[in-house]
Amino acid sequence: MSLLEVEGLDKHFGGLYAVRNVSFTIDKGEIVGILGPNGAGKTTLYNLLTGFIAADRGRIVFNGQSLRGKPPHRIARLGISRTFQLCRPFVGMTVRENVIVGALGTARGGRADLDARARALLASVGLAGKEDVAVDVLSYGDQRRLEIARALAAQPTLLLLDEPFAGLGTGEIGDLSALIRKVHAEQGLTVLLIEHKLREFMRLVQRVIVLDFGEVIARGTPEEVVAHPAVIEAYVGRGNEPMAEGANAA
Amino acid sequence: MAGKRLDLAGATAFVALMVVFPLVFDSRYLIGVLTVSAIYGIWAVSWDFMSGLTGRENFGHSLFIGVGAYTAGFLNTLLGVSGWWNLPAAMAVAVIFALVIGLPTLRLKGPYFALAMLSGAVIMQRLVLIFWEQTGGEEGINGIEPLIRSQLGFYYFVLGVLVAITVLLLALARSHWGLVLRAIRGDEATCQAAGLNVTFYKIASLAISAACAGAGGAIYAHYQLQVSPQLFAVVTSITIITMVYVGGMASIYGPVGGAILLVLLTELLRNFGEWRLMIYSCTLILILFFLPHGLIAPTWQRFRSRFGRRP
Repeated sequence: MSLLEVEGLDKHFGGLYAVRNVSFTIDKGEIVGILGPNGAGKTTLYNLLTGFIAADRGRIVFNGQSLRGKPPHRIARLGISRTFQLCRPFVGMTVRENVIVGALGTARGGRADLDARARALLASVGLAGKEDVAVDVLSYGDQRRLEIARALAAQPTLLLLDEPFAGLGTGEIGDLSALIRKVHAEQGLTVLLIEHKLREFMRLVQRVIVLDFGEVIARGTPEEVVAHPAVIEAYVGRGNEPMAEGANAA
Repeated sequence: MAGKRLDLAGATAFVALMVVFPLVFDSRYLIGVLTVSAIYGIWAVSWDFMSGLTGRENFGHSLFIGVGAYTAGFLNTLLGVSGWWNLPAAMAVAVIFALVIGLPTLRLKGPYFALAMLSGAVIMQRLVLIFWEQTGGEEGINGIEPLIRSQLGFYYFVLGVLVAITVLLLALARSHWGLVLRAIRGDEATCQAAGLNVTFYKIASLAISAACAGAGGAIYAHYQLQVSPQLFAVVTSITIITMVYVGGMASIYGPVGGAILLVLLTELLRNFGEWRLMIYSCTLILILFFLPHGLIAPTWQRFRSRFGRRP
């Protein structure tokens, strides 16, 4: 049985369809990528899945439960964690406190218990030794790691990553993608990933769903998708603009 | 932890000072000033718990104070309810007001909560004047019985309430609950994505804050032995917010110091006659300009980090 089923999902803002008739399924343990040019509706799709925006039409079923109409914190408690496109650490708090907040919505444990879990998580994402540092002084790469640690603290079954590599250097991207592989392999986590950094993205994901103007225009393995005429057209266009790797999403 | 022991020592010294002060300088005037400063302390701490921690500024704290005071006034003068029952009743009524305003506005982003609180206080003040036949209008309610006959005894009671509320709110603020409130200040969406019911936390904190402010209002009614619509005035809320800023926002204990400091300052400046407001305002502007994080809590933190490290 698939972990996540999305069927006929629609969301329009005024006359503009941000997401239109989107259907797909994700199986347990997959790493699936969502690709698409700026403004294709990728982040809107995340917001629909996590309840931050209400869908106009369609079905979202996670683990056999419908997510339509549920508020974000309920959906998170069902086992969907997400990161945001821009790092949003809780400023004025330490790295460890940030992770503890990530765990508080789903975990019922004592102070010492949560503390130990936060330390273990931080060690696993490579932030050991920085537990008591104020988040404000973390490097951008470390903030990305913290985002993932905080999302994992909620013990999700499905992790939604929104451009985790944005703003990182090549070395940092390699490290972070190794981290994503590691949590996927060790915890059997299902991962959905939005990314523009194609090279690393294509190596990481097993399957790709391509969106353009809110609609699914192609799906398949990374190799199939990059050769798909509709994808080439969406990115390169019929004209002659070269593809802008690493562009910011809308 | 040396730091924690230092905190405890500092708090004990502060309470001891507040207890001994009126015994050394035995004057009715001084006890009165200290009582008022302790009541302002209750209001400032309760404001800080909700607004300081979550960053949702409440510009109408006087609403909770006013309804608490009027509840005590009505119950005592009309129904003859004894003062001790008026405290929980005032807290309950303040909580009801907090829910009525908080439930619709704290779900929303933007300034709706701040504006609703501000207008709530203004509207209540108007209503008290409009229904003057029931509320006594400008005159307010007079003839409220004192809670404790002895002035010194009453001061110690207020001080006890202040200490209890501060300890309670400080414990909450340093628990996971407080961590969530501070996270809400940082980013609500991330909190929701972590499975936290942000609206619940905000409304519950407002209710706790209102309950404490309402209790303070009832105590104030039993101290002044009368209540007047002035209690709802916006200036009361602004004074409380200033006390929190001077004390150090989100520190909980800082606002107690801020309240005492500003009440004492107001009294000390009485000798300056017309210059009083001028000096008071300039002092505040200087404090807020040069010490944006406040005076009391940051000073204590500096002291603590200097002396708290020694084994």
